[in-house]
Amino acid sequence: MRHEVKKICKIVDELTTLLLKEDTDEVDFKIKKTDYETIIYITDYNTKYTPDHVEQLKQCLNVQRQHEVEEYYWQLVGECDSDSELTVIGAMIDSAEIELKDGNLHLKIVREK
Amino acid sequence: MLIKKNIDEKPIHKSEVKKILFIFPMVFLIFGIVMSIISTDFIDGFVRISKSPTILITDFLELGGIGPAFINAAIIGLINLFLLKKFKMKINGLLIAAFMTLLGFSFFGKNLINIVPLYIGGYLYAKQQKIHMRDVIVIIMFSTGLSPIISELMFSSIIAEPYNIIFGFLVGILIGYVIGPLSAHMLKFHEGYNLYNVGFTAGIVGTVFTSVLRALDKEVEPVRILYERGDLHIKILLTGLFLSLVIIGFWVNKNTLKDYKNIFTYSGRTVTDFTYLLGYGVTFVNMGIMGLLSVALVTILGGILNGPVLAAIFTIVGFGAFGKHPKNTIPVMLGVIIAAVYLGLDLSSTGIIISILFATTIAPIAGTHGPIIGIVAGMLHLAVVTNIGIVHGGINLYNNGFSGGLVAGFLVPIIDAFKKGD
Repeated sequence: MRHEVKKICKIVDELTTLLLKEDTDEVDFKIKKTDYETIIYITDYNTKYTPDHVEQLKQCLNVQRQHEVEEYYWQLVGECDSDSELTVIGAMIDSAEIELKDGNLHLKIVREK
Repeated sequence: MLIKKNIDEKPIHKSEVKKILFIFPMVFLIFGIVMSIISTDFIDGFVRISKSPTILITDFLELGGIGPAFINAAIIGLINLFLLKKFKMKINGLLIAAFMTLLGFSFFGKNLINIVPLYIGGYLYAKQQKIHMRDVIVIIMFSTGLSPIISELMFSSIIAEPYNIIFGFLVGILIGYVIGPLSAHMLKFHEGYNLYNVGFTAGIVGTVFTSVLRALDKEVEPVRILYERGDLHIKILLTGLFLSLVIIGFWVNKNTLKDYKNIFTYSGRTVTDFTYLLGYGVTFVNMGIMGLLSVALVTILGGILNGPVLAAIFTIVGFGAFGKHPKNTIPVMLGVIIAAVYLGLDLSSTGIIISILFATTIAPIAGTHGPIIGIVAGMLHLAVVTNIGIVHGGINLYNNGFSGGLVAGFLVPIIDAFKKGD
């Protein structure tokens, strides 16, 4: 079993944990799943993140997809609330668009099948 | 959040990283050939290594001789590098850790016969799940810690001839097939605070396997075959290799002296890939420093560089690319030393030395919660590791990884219970 749905849920879990812990008290998310890819939209309202923070987040998430890291470590994602597993998320997704707009932080995460 | 540092280093292609890793098996091969020429019984030694049950502790340096043991490690290293090249894999910290661990344990339990079934099992799993073999290769490389199960079934008297070979082979395939999902699942127990996660998984598998054997009134007999003679030539070889890693690191990143201190800001908790966070220059320097410190520690304690100690040192060097650095490893090693002194144990014995070195599997505890907790974790590790081998009967080479998982899984929730806040 490849646990595709569970992996998507874990990515959302990890990111919402991070945002609620570090940045905000209001988060929205939407997940769209097709035959080819899954797109996760997250909106973090009234963000305190600076453009530098956002740049660091972009760097963390936009590393090359690494299937061997995903296969080994995906169950660690979303498990710990005292540390983050953004490196593993970076290895599990194909792209992450992050932008600051009107005081909110918008994330679009794409994971291809 | 793990922040990638702005590091200015020479761009290094994945083929160049493979060439750097290639140095290790090639040097082993040359050293092994030279030592085999001196000792003259290469064939016999190599056969003894290949046909041994390899249960803990079977030191190939003693069983087969130094030459055959180094050639065995070289061949296993070269085959795995070939696989990484064939699969066109980017060499990240995890792969470096897996490769070095595999190389080190080829002096102490892993041979060509007992690792092949695990790779076949991994391949069948990948086929069945419709994923590429490269997705599971790293887990399979680590899973070879369970190779003694295969050798034990093949070459001890547990299974009658002629069924022993085929039975051992099939069990190896089965383990290779299930180890991926099992090891991913086990991570949740210790939350990534135990770096040798497959060691913990292998401990569980080994415990179940040994219990089944015992239920069938079969017993895995422990052995103690250890090389305990002169090791100056091995010390010189290792020192040369680790110094060359430091030099390569400085060649890749001219500012390593300035950049190296950044490594201490990372706790080392899984996943901490230094090749991504700090670049290859700092990573190679850290690997070299960890290796040199380990050789120095063994020398100071009066230990001998034999198979198990080589396994421990190369595992530390490998994880120098994936979570370990002096700041998070020294407290746990100190904890083991303090506990061993208190219990009146011989610090120069191989058993204690490998416990000190392998205790660094729980370095992230010290990296996250500070040196005092790290020392306590090290003390606990010694207590657990010296009592856990009997549970799996010595068929898990990563005995310290099993112990580290138990210590981390026990200690981390307790530490959390004393924390305040959301």
